[in-house]
Amino acid sequence: MDWSKENGLLIIPLVLGCFAVCWLMPSTRQRPRILGGLAALAAILMMQAMLLPPAGDYVRSVLFFVFAAAAVISAGLMITDRNPVYAALWFALVTLAVCGLFLLNAAPFLSASTIIVYAGAIIVTFLFVIMLAQQSGTATSYDQQPIQPLMASVGGFILLGALLFTLQEWGHIDGTSTSEHAEPGQFIALPKEIEPNPLSQAPHDNPHEIGSLRVLGRSLFGDYLFSVEIAGTVLLIATIGAIAIAPRRSQGTL
Amino acid sequence: MFEQLINWFPEWARPFIMPMITIGIVLQVNLGVCSYLILLERKLSAWMQDRIGPNRVGPWGLLQPVADMLKLLLKEDVIPGHVNKFLYVLAPGISVFTTMLAFAVVPFGPVPRNLSATDGQFPYIIAPGVDLGLVFIFAVTSLAVYGIILGGWASNNKYSALGAMRASAQVVSYEIPLGMSVVGLALLTGSMSIEKILLHQVDAGILGWNIWFQPLACVIFFAAAMAEAQRLPFDLSECEQELVGGWHTEYSAMKWGLFFLGEYTHVITISFLTSILFFGGWHLPWIAEPDSQYLGSTLVKVLVLLTKSFAFIIVIQMLRWTIPRFRFDQLMGLAWKVLIPLATLNVVCVMIVKQFHLNEWWLLPMSAGLFLGAGLIGTQSSRPFARKTLEPVAEAHGHHAHAH
Repeated sequence: MDWSKENGLLIIPLVLGCFAVCWLMPSTRQRPRILGGLAALAAILMMQAMLLPPAGDYVRSVLFFVFAAAAVISAGLMITDRNPVYAALWFALVTLAVCGLFLLNAAPFLSASTIIVYAGAIIVTFLFVIMLAQQSGTATSYDQQPIQPLMASVGGFILLGALLFTLQEWGHIDGTSTSEHAEPGQFIALPKEIEPNPLSQAPHDNPHEIGSLRVLGRSLFGDYLFSVEIAGTVLLIATIGAIAIAPRRSQGTL
Repeated sequence: MFEQLINWFPEWARPFIMPMITIGIVLQVNLGVCSYLILLERKLSAWMQDRIGPNRVGPWGLLQPVADMLKLLLKEDVIPGHVNKFLYVLAPGISVFTTMLAFAVVPFGPVPRNLSATDGQFPYIIAPGVDLGLVFIFAVTSLAVYGIILGGWASNNKYSALGAMRASAQVVSYEIPLGMSVVGLALLTGSMSIEKILLHQVDAGILGWNIWFQPLACVIFFAAAMAEAQRLPFDLSECEQELVGGWHTEYSAMKWGLFFLGEYTHVITISFLTSILFFGGWHLPWIAEPDSQYLGSTLVKVLVLLTKSFAFIIVIQMLRWTIPRFRFDQLMGLAWKVLIPLATLNVVCVMIVKQFHLNEWWLLPMSAGLFLGAGLIGTQSSRPFARKTLEPVAEAHGHHAHAH
């Protein structure tokens, strides 16, 4: 019982959000969409109390709420939109909003490269494929119905719940146990007990340096060199596979 | 020089004054310059094709841009009945917004060292001190393709959709050589900030301009940037002979005009970037040195940068009638088989020079060697390769006939 009292603040918005997404999914029956919208709004508002950032700069807080709300709402609309082209555009908005959050957290390179890779290349490719399949204005019936809306939303929200519980345990993000004053260059202050990686060769004494290109490069190609090399190898294998699958010109294709 | 003006405002507003002034100046100049660049382009086209060109409005046709703009503003703004209205209206806005935003980190004059937002110095750049200026520009201009894609799709027209699809494939491909070409500059300078790259060249003098060390990167950058801007010879997305007008077929009046405002702003940005990254920005020996302090030296520096950029705009406009448009597979082949390997090899050369502490001048013969090598491979391998690829097809046809 204690457990449910402690974590009720997390469970109720999760259930509400799951219901809202299920309700808003496109379906053959006509439903009052406003009900789902209200449930989603209630879920977001309840969750917002949990994720309150430590009291900091006024402009920073406003920007954080603008970006965070844009990201969450666009993500919901992306899942529930009936038109795949609009869904791809909502996805682009989610990416841009998340990049705004990265910028607020003093990670300009991560933000810019996410825009280049996701918004600039991957979603453009999505749009390319969707546009090949569907002309604007033509009423196509396929791709308009979700296959398993209930299972998908429940699964997604269980995952989200697990993530939030872990974050709560780990980072004490309930707005009370973090230090009152955010470090310059960071939005949510790091919990006190987390030490910088002791094996890291990147300089970490200067908080203004966090997220700068120099420190990022030292960290990527010093501390995480092995992961970077593995990721590079996996990508290389994927490239070779794509070239192997592609039909030869002598086989009659372009 | 603006200190009194800034002090007149309340304290919380002071950091916003200089950026506002700069944005206002850049926007106004850009709009004026864009309209006259169109006249210049028409005159240049006429000259290259042995025609006269526009000469009816005003002396030598100088008032033609004014008449054009009035026409665009007063013309009926048709929104066809079969389009997706929201995206149709949004697309030209995205096109202008992204290209204008990219100009925020491009310096257009001698940016003062140790600039602060409130000391009243004119910054000559909208957003000073962006550590990742180059990456920012690539991020923002990679979003410009949304204007084209959405415009083409929302028009609900086969020609528009074809143009939009060509544009999306082209922009995604050419982003890679564009990004790779400046990695060498970042390695040589040790920074991705456009201001720092400029200052690095200025301090080193004319023999320190990046063009001496990275001539190949300059060519790759220029070609890829023109492809990003959808300029001829890379304008397959709107080629008039096949696609009527491509993605802007269904657009009229000022919405159409906004697309072209975006394109010309992109051209201006490319020219500024090329002259800043590779040709020393506002530096010119003896006339505009970092320590030249004579009366009006700042103005001279701005003029030097503007002249260099103007020269590149002229080059872009002359290329329009010099190189014919590519075929689509040639376009993709150029990006994936030529520009990307060359840009990668160029980065490897810079890494070798930096790693073994060689003299930076080794990069000049290395770049020339890469360029000549690529040309040699291109000319020597193309004919046998074509024969080799054709033969199996003929053979397959033969077998087919034999089986019958």
